[in-house]
Amino acid sequence: MEEFLGNPAVQGGVAPFVVGLIVVAILGRARLGGLAVVAAFAVCVHLASGLTFTPLTSLRKLVLLGLIAPVVGIAIDFVFRTGRSLTAAIAAACGALTVWVFWSVLQQKPAAEAALLGGGIAVFVAWLVGSTLELAAQPVRAGAVALMLGLGAGISAILGASALLGLYGIAIGAGAGAFLLVQMLTGRRIAAGATFTLSASLAAGLVAAAALVLAQLPWYALIVLGLIPLGARLPASDRLPVWAQAFIVSAYGLAVAVVAFVLTWRAAPPAG
Amino acid sequence: MRKTAIALVAAALPLAAAAQVESYNIDPYHTVPYFEIDHLGFATMRGRFDKPTGKFTIDRAAKTGTLEIVIQTATVSTGDPERDGRPRTRDEHLRSPDFFNAAEFPTMTYRATGVKFKGDDPDVIEGNLTLLGVTKPVQIKIERWKCGPDPRTQGKRYQCGGNATGVFKRSEFGMKIYLPTALADDVKLWMSFYGFRQ
Repeated sequence: MEEFLGNPAVQGGVAPFVVGLIVVAILGRARLGGLAVVAAFAVCVHLASGLTFTPLTSLRKLVLLGLIAPVVGIAIDFVFRTGRSLTAAIAAACGALTVWVFWSVLQQKPAAEAALLGGGIAVFVAWLVGSTLELAAQPVRAGAVALMLGLGAGISAILGASALLGLYGIAIGAGAGAFLLVQMLTGRRIAAGATFTLSASLAAGLVAAAALVLAQLPWYALIVLGLIPLGARLPASDRLPVWAQAFIVSAYGLAVAVVAFVLTWRAAPPAG
Repeated sequence: MRKTAIALVAAALPLAAAAQVESYNIDPYHTVPYFEIDHLGFATMRGRFDKPTGKFTIDRAAKTGTLEIVIQTATVSTGDPERDGRPRTRDEHLRSPDFFNAAEFPTMTYRATGVKFKGDDPDVIEGNLTLLGVTKPVQIKIERWKCGPDPRTQGKRYQCGGNATGVFKRSEFGMKIYLPTALADDVKLWMSFYGFRQ
């Protein structure tokens, strides 16, 4: 059993996906099916690196925010009314938190480089969160975008030299995939809300940012990954069956993600 | 007159004691920390770090000593520096947050907390290794130790050199990826070292 759970394919793919399916099956009717993402992410973190928070490194801050995000999402879905101003505020807060996550690395760099890097990843995460939150009322599109954000960030991270970040990203994709698959198989839409969209976009955005700051993801791969939520705005009629719409929107996201993979693969090694 | 003599002797005593403490600076070019780890249960992989810095002191009369060594984690090398068509090399992977997380933790340090002697020579060093922001005790065994004039300087420089070994569990420092089967938990250390007396 220990050997089975120690397999990276199980840690990042199989176990998160199965747990995601269980969460959607149990909590989907209670508008909490979006918790599949955080459940999948938590399982992967537990299996691959352990759920510990001391010392509070950048990766552990990433995990911490990934676990807190659905709590905020539930509050938004059940207590507050979502709107453009709230979405913008949450996106800005996520951008600021991104700087906090990587502060220990940024403060070791020259001021100009730190400002450029910190500002860049803050804008990237804020954009990703804001543009994905806007899909909160469209669970199929949100599911497809989160699936490709997770897989895109994860596979790019692996190509950028970090298998651990890769597992985190793929697990997010697995949780989103479970959320999407249940909708495709049943033909019924499951409420996504901020519970799902905030969890997936913040965690995937931080994984991609970590691959840039801590590993060797090229900065321009982030720009490409940032285009994935735009795929949900491309034509895929709501009159189509759920499975067809999910397939089409996922294909849009996959096409964008593949560009990020190629760019990361071909990236030149760092100088020195 | 007698009081003056006593005072002079008393003043000289600490100097005499201090003179027994010898200070050495680590030679970064001949001090090389190596590590080895079981890979997939099939083979042992080895790697090294380049140009560590630090210093040590030794007081043979009091049988005490100190040691501090600082290692740049980004210098990790396992002989795989070229990508050869792959997206990344093993050395690049080792610098990532999966292992040494060199961007966030550019150094790891070892500081002695005590030195046990065997005769006039240091034998076992008790100390703390700080890696990935975690500090844990690690014992180092001095397997070889010799001091004397450096023949490369016709004896003008005095040096001590030798080999040391140790072992630690990487999981204790939060380096848990690929446990338990792909990469073992135990990391063995082997180090050649030189220090020049100041």
